[in-house]
Amino acid sequence: MASQNADPAAVSSAAALKAAETGATAARGAVGKRLQQELMALMMSGDKGISAFPESDNLFKWIGTIDGAAGTAYEELRYKLSLEFPSGYPYTAPTVRFLTPCYHPNVDTQGNICLDILKEKWSALYDVRTILLSIQSLLAEPNIESPLNTHAAELWKNQVAYKKYVRETYNKQTKSQET
Amino acid sequence: MASKGPTASASTKSSSTGGTSGSSSSNGSGDNTNQDNTFECNICLDTAKDAVISLCGHLFCWPCLHQWLETRPNRQVCPVCKAGISRDKVIPLYGRGSTGQQDPREKTPPRPQGQRPEPENRGGFQGFGFGDGGFQMSFGIGAFPFGIFATAFNINDGRPPPAVPGTPQYVDEQFLSRLFLFVALVIMFWLLIA
Repeated sequence: MASQNADPAAVSSAAALKAAETGATAARGAVGKRLQQELMALMMSGDKGISAFPESDNLFKWIGTIDGAAGTAYEELRYKLSLEFPSGYPYTAPTVRFLTPCYHPNVDTQGNICLDILKEKWSALYDVRTILLSIQSLLAEPNIESPLNTHAAELWKNQVAYKKYVRETYNKQTKSQET
Repeated sequence: MASKGPTASASTKSSSTGGTSGSSSSNGSGDNTNQDNTFECNICLDTAKDAVISLCGHLFCWPCLHQWLETRPNRQVCPVCKAGISRDKVIPLYGRGSTGQQDPREKTPPRPQGQRPEPENRGGFQGFGFGDGGFQMSFGIGAFPFGIFATAFNINDGRPPPAVPGTPQYVDEQFLSRLFLFVALVIMFWLLIA
């Protein structure tokens, strides 16, 4: 930091110019670094019921899995999700979707998830691990007030029927995916 | 770089035992790796550079926090605890080894400087086209004698000393100045006889 003795105006304008030139690549590098940190943290954490890994060489697209928590309607069911990180990550939330069709009041038929921390409540502190844990707990505790799947929201009141229906749809979908 | 591994593992261990709270300030074991991650930025998860601390006690790199604040100017909250936060409500941290005591907030890399060109800096390349606006304005106002003086002034003064002859701009400039001088004379004449 020898430049600190230089004229502040010159330094800042030079820095601004440099930031403008290398902004895109530098930002991408910083995002990649953070994603690497997250991957390492996630693999070391050994959290049960969640996992995630970059889909290919592309660090900006991950595939995650969530196991339904024991004692809930989603017990013993495993769901695959895709996580796409924008170049503005972690300042903007990643796009998270269910790949395995999920019958849930806050998940639509396309797999889109209605979760506040993925939208307006997003914070730069959240990472893949907290997102997956949040979705895992969303499975057990849906927000019935603003459902994407009204059928599921209605059926939620009858837990026995709900659990049965979740299992039926899950088995049907996974079978049709296998064949 | 090799030390990153154990650091990351220690951080996740402490946070997984300590619930979902992001602050990894548990000083339970005094080993070095745990000590390190206490000073990690909450946004880039790396050791905080140009560190600032919020009034709620959360540590960030200033560039990281600055970008976070820029992302949502209407709702500036601490990423960790969602307390109110702003540029003026963070405290820069100066460690012993830090170079200089410059406030990190003074150098905000992601933000380009505001553009406010000085009037005389409009010279250089644009100097040749300098006259157009000025001339029109002085005549438009109707203070034509001053306009003429101003014109003469502008030509002799406002332009950079060697007005590279031969360039199209030079030719245009010469033509324009003569044209405007002629127009000025015509108007003056017209005023005299009117």
